[in-house]
Amino acid sequence: MQHRHLLPNEFDLLLDEESGFGVQPLRDHVRGCTQCSARLAEARELVASLDELPLMSPRMGMADRVMTQVPVFVPWHVAARDTVTQWLPSTPAMRGLAAALIAVVGSVLTGLTLWIATRGDVLALFTGLVGEGVRNTVSQTAGDVVVGLFGPQLAVAVQQVGPLGVALAAGGFLVASLATVFGLRLIATSSRARS
Amino acid sequence: MSPTPVLDLANLPDADVVGLAQKGREAAYRELIRRYERPVFSLVYRMVRDRELSEDLTQDTFVKVLTHIDKYRSEFKFSSWLFKIANNVAIDHLRRRQLDTVSMEGSPHATTSDLAEATSFELAATSESPLQELEARELGSEIERAISQLRPEYRACILLRHVEDKSYEEIAATLDLPLGTVKTYIHRARHELRRLLEHVRDGGIGPLEEGEPA
Repeated sequence: MQHRHLLPNEFDLLLDEESGFGVQPLRDHVRGCTQCSARLAEARELVASLDELPLMSPRMGMADRVMTQVPVFVPWHVAARDTVTQWLPSTPAMRGLAAALIAVVGSVLTGLTLWIATRGDVLALFTGLVGEGVRNTVSQTAGDVVVGLFGPQLAVAVQQVGPLGVALAAGGFLVASLATVFGLRLIATSSRARS
Repeated sequence: MSPTPVLDLANLPDADVVGLAQKGREAAYRELIRRYERPVFSLVYRMVRDRELSEDLTQDTFVKVLTHIDKYRSEFKFSSWLFKIANNVAIDHLRRRQLDTVSMEGSPHATTSDLAEATSFELAATSESPLQELEARELGSEIERAISQLRPEYRACILLRHVEDKSYEEIAATLDLPLGTVKTYIHRARHELRRLLEHVRDGGIGPLEEGEPA
């Protein structure tokens, strides 16, 4: 077989414990060759030293330092599930109690809604009373404000023109205000361009 | 109110932990850091030989990996991807710093010894600065000092092979190198280390000529 010493790459095959075709003759040669055997032993010693190199540790807190720079993207469905999970009670008994409470409250509210819906006359009366009260309150308050700010003549004029007139007047005021703002801006930019 | 369920991440394989990280579980991010901070730091530290810098580069590695965790594909090993980025970060820094290393080797693509010799060259080897010597002592043994003198490419291969216990195929995938190149680099790294460590062997056998008749 081998009438020469092993080549360096052949030593590597033995070091890496390869088992392919052609490796056995190498092993046979090493068994019979003192120099190659010694060379292989040295190489194995080196490999063993490399294998024993320790892992080194960075200072504490690497995860904290990294996470301050890493945005954690939570998909919406995961966030929703986590939110729901956070609101659930922790024990099965409490979850049962919560479910029962929700069922009772839900049933009462549903019954009440159905009852009101079947009593249309009661609903209309109630709505009318509430609406009338709100309308009267708003009108009274608005009237007091207008009289306080602009005097009783304006209040009379508003009553005469009605809601449509008031809306037109307010719209006209808004348009005039916007036109004033744009005009002033135009003047300011043009004067800046000239300078 | 019930707290978010505690996940037992320590016993999950990497692919599952990465999957949880991709779903936004911060605990999964931290588990990945916990698993690999020492291996990554060890690799980077032995590449750049500066503890404080290694901390920063390790941090950069994890930030890059975790920021793009959504791009990870499960058909590849997570550790290979992580070490690839760690190695690139270290190599980029070394290139910027232009650390001097001594290499007697020729082109890795040389097919004959004559061609290898024709493409070999010697770089002027600067003596270690006091700081480098201090760092080498911190790293400890002669073998650490010898590793620090290898070319970066050889150093990465030998560290991934023997410290991280990666196969040749995994190293090739990690470093984006052909399998043959990886074997060449490891062979040359071992040869170089044996030469550098020769002085510590008492009564060591002298180097044989390759192919010398038995």
